[in-house]
Amino acid sequence: MLVASLFLLAAGVLGAGLLRTSWRRREGAAPALLAGGWGVLIGAILLAGWVVGPVKGTALALAMEGIGAFGIVWHGRVRKVARERDGKGEGGDAPEPLDEPGRVWRGVLRTLLAGPLGMTAAMALAFCVTVYMPGDARTRIVTGGMLLPVLWGLAMTWTLADRRLLRATAVLVGTSVLGFGLAFLGGILSGAST
Amino acid sequence: MSNTRKKRWRWPISPETVRSVLSSHSVLGLAFAAIIYLVCLTGTIAVFAPDLQRIEVPGTPVAMHLSEAAAARALTEAVRQTPSDSSIYLTMPSPAKEGATLVAFKPGFERNWAVAEDGTLSPLDAIWTEFLIYLHICLHLPRSWGGFIVGLTGVALLSSLVSGILAHPRVVRDAFHLRLGGSRRLQEADLHNRLGVWALPFHFTLALTGALLGLSTIIVAGLSLLLYRGDMTRVYALFLDPPPAIDARTVPMPDLAALIAQARARMAEAAIDSVMVERPGRADMRISVHGRRSRHLVVQDEVQFDAQGAAIHEEHPKDMVVGTRVLSGIGQLHFGWFGGPVVRVAYGLLGLALCVVTSSGVTIWLARRRDRGRPAPQWERIWSAVCWGQPVVLMLTAILAFVYPEVPLAPAWLILTTIAIVLCAVMNRCSGEYLARLWRRGLVVASALAAVLYLGRALY
Repeated sequence: MLVASLFLLAAGVLGAGLLRTSWRRREGAAPALLAGGWGVLIGAILLAGWVVGPVKGTALALAMEGIGAFGIVWHGRVRKVARERDGKGEGGDAPEPLDEPGRVWRGVLRTLLAGPLGMTAAMALAFCVTVYMPGDARTRIVTGGMLLPVLWGLAMTWTLADRRLLRATAVLVGTSVLGFGLAFLGGILSGAST
Repeated sequence: MSNTRKKRWRWPISPETVRSVLSSHSVLGLAFAAIIYLVCLTGTIAVFAPDLQRIEVPGTPVAMHLSEAAAARALTEAVRQTPSDSSIYLTMPSPAKEGATLVAFKPGFERNWAVAEDGTLSPLDAIWTEFLIYLHICLHLPRSWGGFIVGLTGVALLSSLVSGILAHPRVVRDAFHLRLGGSRRLQEADLHNRLGVWALPFHFTLALTGALLGLSTIIVAGLSLLLYRGDMTRVYALFLDPPPAIDARTVPMPDLAALIAQARARMAEAAIDSVMVERPGRADMRISVHGRRSRHLVVQDEVQFDAQGAAIHEEHPKDMVVGTRVLSGIGQLHFGWFGGPVVRVAYGLLGLALCVVTSSGVTIWLARRRDRGRPAPQWERIWSAVCWGQPVVLMLTAILAFVYPEVPLAPAWLILTTIAIVLCAVMNRCSGEYLARLWRRGLVVASALAAVLYLGRALY
């Protein structure tokens, strides 16, 4: 494991190093360096999956390459002289969040949409997948279970970003009612087999 | 010289939507910042739980190899020392986990031991490590509620990762920028974005597995309502072996060493990973021997024996469905306990990165407010109490566990945390930066003291 970890760390350093070399070129990215960088990073993940084990190797590769790549970022850090306010000049064209006037009712509604309603809608969709997906019941349950946090997270992102709260409410309520209805129907029809 | 040419917008979503998403990223991050930070910080330390246990309990034997006879001796000794209806679980040493451990448990009862190479047991009651793990997995609240809150935190983290990427149109342009020492906001933004992006697969895996572990109760409850009229045991039964029919007659223990040897022969490609004895000393006893193959993340070989020592069930990778494999691997992936010390160190570093991402997110918001002439000094002080205060409070609980082992650590942690936050909130004359500096010094002192106490005891 130590040898594999060091190899993957080195692959992260090499891959990110090639990408950084391309990124630094003033005349634009170099396709060969880009392809080389991504090739090393992806190739090392595939190799780790093959040698160490498909899940174990991939997880190890993603962790070690991440550290190696950040090592390159850290190596290329620049020190600037502290000034009172220089946020505007450098990186100052980075997007700024929308400044909306805070209204309590919008805050409460958004919390409800992102929280309980988002969870209900995500659950409805995830359970639909569990009920209707073909295959072993255990695999279907785990797939649905894994989908739940992902879908809820997406619902959170969307409802908190969407300024049309009525639209978000309608979509989430509709998804919940339809999803749970379909899942319940499917559960009744195939409950015994699950 | 100003560039009057408008740069081409190459991001898949419009600038207006990016600003909305960034706003949602901000709102969500701020709402959950403290709890995400606490869960990440405790999780980062919990990765080293096996090492911390050994530091906390001096003289803990670390078996590098455990023979069948020694394993049998340890199991028999544990059966002798525990109530008759307990289950005994022995974990063998492996390249992923040095040392053998044994736990005996039943509802309302749990005892832990470390097992020496000759099979003798040493108590392994690491109260601080246990406190830390429970703080991470359920915040010391009732298990289902605490788990749900931590699961919700995982969902919020997942959502923040998605919105963070969507709201980052300069992801390629700034891919390697790390500008330190200039404007505070730029420095924190660079750290936040670089650590967030380059370790994204790790952060995503951690958030997803954490959310799934935390929300498992609600998922099972929902599914059981939908499919089995609320009978949760039917969902659990899909993943667990059915218990043997009850027969409480007393029987002698079978030759456990011989059973382990027999199981080893039946799973030639796997190394013995663990042995579980349920209802020891009863006629309905079941002994399960699990094996792990070097390329697999989780155990996929199992041989079960009954009280007479007859093999009653056998399972190998080809018999295991994908769902069961995935479910078994979630905890391993989440805690990084699958690859030994190197993986633990890697997980520790990346966990620390996630703490920095969370903390810098709040710092950016505070710096932005200051830049716009709307500083929030009280929040700056409170955040210093969370960001730097929490490590100090955790260290103080470790010192407390050393000096007064009988003190309940969860209430102590809550009291210290409350005092730290309230004190910082009311100290109007001090800036957040000054308090953060004080906390950092406090952390150095508390860490040094804890190290002297624990390592001193271990060496002495």
